Amino acid sequence: MALTTHNKKRVPLAGPALALAVMAAPALAATEAGEELIRNNCLACHSDTGNSETPFSRISEQRKTPEGWLMTINRMQELRGAQISTEDKRALVQYLADHQGLAPSEAEPYRYLLEQDTNLVESGVDEGLGQMCARCHSAARFSLQRRTEDEWKRLVGFHMGQFPTIELHSLARDRAWYDIAQNQTAVELGNKFPLITPEWNSWKAAPKADLTGRWRVLGYVPGKGEFTAWMDASKSETGYQLSLEGQYSDGSALSGKGSARVYTGYEWRAAIEIDGVKMRQVMAADAEGSVMDGRMFNTEAREIGGELMAVRDQGQPAVVAVLPAHLKLGESAELTIVGQNLDGDVSLGDGVEIEKVIARDGDSIRVLAKASGAAGARTVSVGDASKDQALAVYDSLARVEVTPANALSRIGGNGGEMAKVRTVYRAVGYAAGADGQPGTDDDLRLGYMPATWSIAPADEVAAHDKDEKYAGAIDASGIFTPGDAGPNPERKMSANNVGRLTVVGSVSDGGNDVTGEGSLLVAPQDFVRRVLD
Amino acid sequence: MKVNKKMKTSALAGAALLSLQALPASADQEYLLTITRPGHLQVIDMSTNEVVRTCDVPGKFGTGSIAPSPDGKIAYVLSNMTEDVYGFDIQTCDITFHAAQSQGNVRVKTHQSITVSADGKELYTVQNPVRHLPDRFEVMEPQLAVYNTADGTDAKPVRTFPVDRRITKIAATEKGEVILGGADIKAIDVNSGEVRMVTALQSWDRGPEWLPPDAFAMHSQGEQSNEYIMPYVTAKFQDDTMNMETAEWWWGISRVDLATGEAVRQEIIPFEFIVFNFISDPRDPNIFYGSFNTLSKHDITTGETLALYEMPHTYYDLNISADGKTIYVGGTSSDISIHSSDTLEKIGSIQLSGDMSTSDLRVATIRD
Repeated sequence: MALTTHNKKRVPLAGPALALAVMAAPALAATEAGEELIRNNCLACHSDTGNSETPFSRISEQRKTPEGWLMTINRMQELRGAQISTEDKRALVQYLADHQGLAPSEAEPYRYLLEQDTNLVESGVDEGLGQMCARCHSAARFSLQRRTEDEWKRLVGFHMGQFPTIELHSLARDRAWYDIAQNQTAVELGNKFPLITPEWNSWKAAPKADLTGRWRVLGYVPGKGEFTAWMDASKSETGYQLSLEGQYSDGSALSGKGSARVYTGYEWRAAIEIDGVKMRQVMAADAEGSVMDGRMFNTEAREIGGELMAVRDQGQPAVVAVLPAHLKLGESAELTIVGQNLDGDVSLGDGVEIEKVIARDGDSIRVLAKASGAAGARTVSVGDASKDQALAVYDSLARVEVTPANALSRIGGNGGEMAKVRTVYRAVGYAAGADGQPGTDDDLRLGYMPATWSIAPADEVAAHDKDEKYAGAIDASGIFTPGDAGPNPERKMSANNVGRLTVVGSVSDGGNDVTGEGSLLVAPQDFVRRVLD
Repeated sequence: MKVNKKMKTSALAGAALLSLQALPASADQEYLLTITRPGHLQVIDMSTNEVVRTCDVPGKFGTGSIAPSPDGKIAYVLSNMTEDVYGFDIQTCDITFHAAQSQGNVRVKTHQSITVSADGKELYTVQNPVRHLPDRFEVMEPQLAVYNTADGTDAKPVRTFPVDRRITKIAATEKGEVILGGADIKAIDVNSGEVRMVTALQSWDRGPEWLPPDAFAMHSQGEQSNEYIMPYVTAKFQDDTMNMETAEWWWGISRVDLATGEAVRQEIIPFEFIVFNFISDPRDPNIFYGSFNTLSKHDITTGETLALYEMPHTYYDLNISADGKTIYVGGTSSDISIHSSDTLEKIGSIQLSGDMSTSDLRVATIRD
């Protein structure tokens, strides 16, 4: 009788319970495989806690980006003697980033660090955390980690053990650094960046998009220019096989092959060789897997890179971009609408007349256009597809912003161990907007514009030391190459070729040259190569 | 009798003066000591300015911190990434002492802090221990460790006492104390462990018009005047708004008399350029010299810079002969630059086999 009752009770439950089990099965298998990897590779030092929520000491009380986990495992190998095969290492990074990663919204404010864009002055950093932590490394470095409070405290212990003079540095020796780090900073980090968050719980449970397919790609390669391409991603055992075909804005072709891995369900990391140059792509996919956004850079010189975006072809027409993204009132100019499945009538917005369609297919439409009417952003459409603010119609170029505004270049080469760290410059144009005043909120962004480049000493001291002569040179494509490493007997005290420069980008607008400036510090070599700064 | 003998000696000396001009007035022999990479103790005869001995220092280069024994015969050197102390007989290079401070899973680092008691019988270090557990570090409390210098090459601490964190340069007084240079200058009784405040720096209470000082010393300073000098930088504001733009910036010092343990703190000269180390003139406590990118001479009673010499590269460290006449400027690179204390003009140079980087430049005097 008892058995019958039990059976009866079980029957209605069997259906949904089974369904759940099937859905969870791959995840469960991955968890078991991942935990096995950790047991095999990490438990010589870490311990099994016996707690299923946090099964492994320290490891289970942290969440990080794929790069964060890679750095940790590198350190375990290099400093703690861990013996981990290349294959297991890759699998560990994959498992840990997938199961103990960051939700897209948690990583979003700090993507510049993952994208290896180091020419950026971080803003909005808490003053205390800035002094205690970000005086040595970026604020993004710790902001891209989540830990329990105890685990943040153990991170303080790691700093004291690994860097014994840390409490003697300037901005440390003026305070009870260790006590503050342990009893205030770690507690603050535990509150600000805790292990368990609603964002992560929700992302963990969310379905992850398959990124297989054709992607319309827009990017920039320093020295070559902007490009548009198609990138095919097909499933492989560990991620995706990639092939990329496209052309630069000057019409020359580009072609590449490579592979990608996706971590945490959205972190796209690709290694791709484009025309003989090894490049890396770091992008974040949106939740639907329809758009990816990030940066592509040289594997050997991460500073040589540019923005990268990709829009997946889902069989629907889409306008992705207009190149260039600006058109001066009253002037005829050639524009290219870049998209996919483009079909139907073309409109460049109010007052923009298409004088001639030079060429068109489903991927792009090249037109000769002339604008009239008011300055401002225009919506561009082709058939049913449209994109807001795709084209800026402007009266005159009011100001030029040089990017990066603040940059760090590093001397190198000359027989030394470290290569030169260059800086890639681009110029962004702005019209003054409705108020006629450049530099105000209503300025109209015109996009990247071709510029001529020059350098000048940053101030009187730099001029006296002839920094513009020794610290490096900038080429026509906006790439600054610093001077050689090593003492220079021509300079005062045989100083090396460091310097402080102003980089000037000059954009011609109807006979007027409009200039913008960037601040460039040419510094000595950085002998530590980090995965993340 | 004694007087007579002395008079005779001086009469003889006077007679001999013409023929023996090169001989120093006293037969005390001064040796300049420094460490060069990858690991050599350089012993320089200060009467000839020649390297007379180069001793191999075991272990990986630390920071080049040196503490000479009061009799000038032994140089204690911090090596092995600042974990071990080795004592060298500077006349033979024999290793007479070794303390491996790290033991078991406890890694001990010493941030420059080594000194020898006035009687030469004890060596003091400030230890900063961290326990290396399999998957974490456990930060332990710093301590003053006391070693018997007679304990040879497997020396262990005979006493330990808790001290503050962030202690760098230390010095033994003739009163049985060790001066601890940290956030404040304190002194610890080496027998009872009792700590007293010598000069409040970080915790000074001078009101909102004075910026709390940034005090830091990596090197021995003032040994030829039997004193310990901790330099600092501070700013005097015009009012309590703490406006850095309109503030007056000053170099200051806490100087501790190592005979008495008594200290004076004062602002000495306006901050016009970086000085990495200050020393005083053994003949006149108001005359100071400083080194970094310049060698400079100052009167601290007036705050006046009396002379300035532009150096061809950076020199972290300096020291002076007991007669106050010759300044040795070193550290950083591989050459010691020799200058007249009177004019600061360069009068010589000593080329070493490797870079001194952060190493001390100490004087060991073997007395006649």
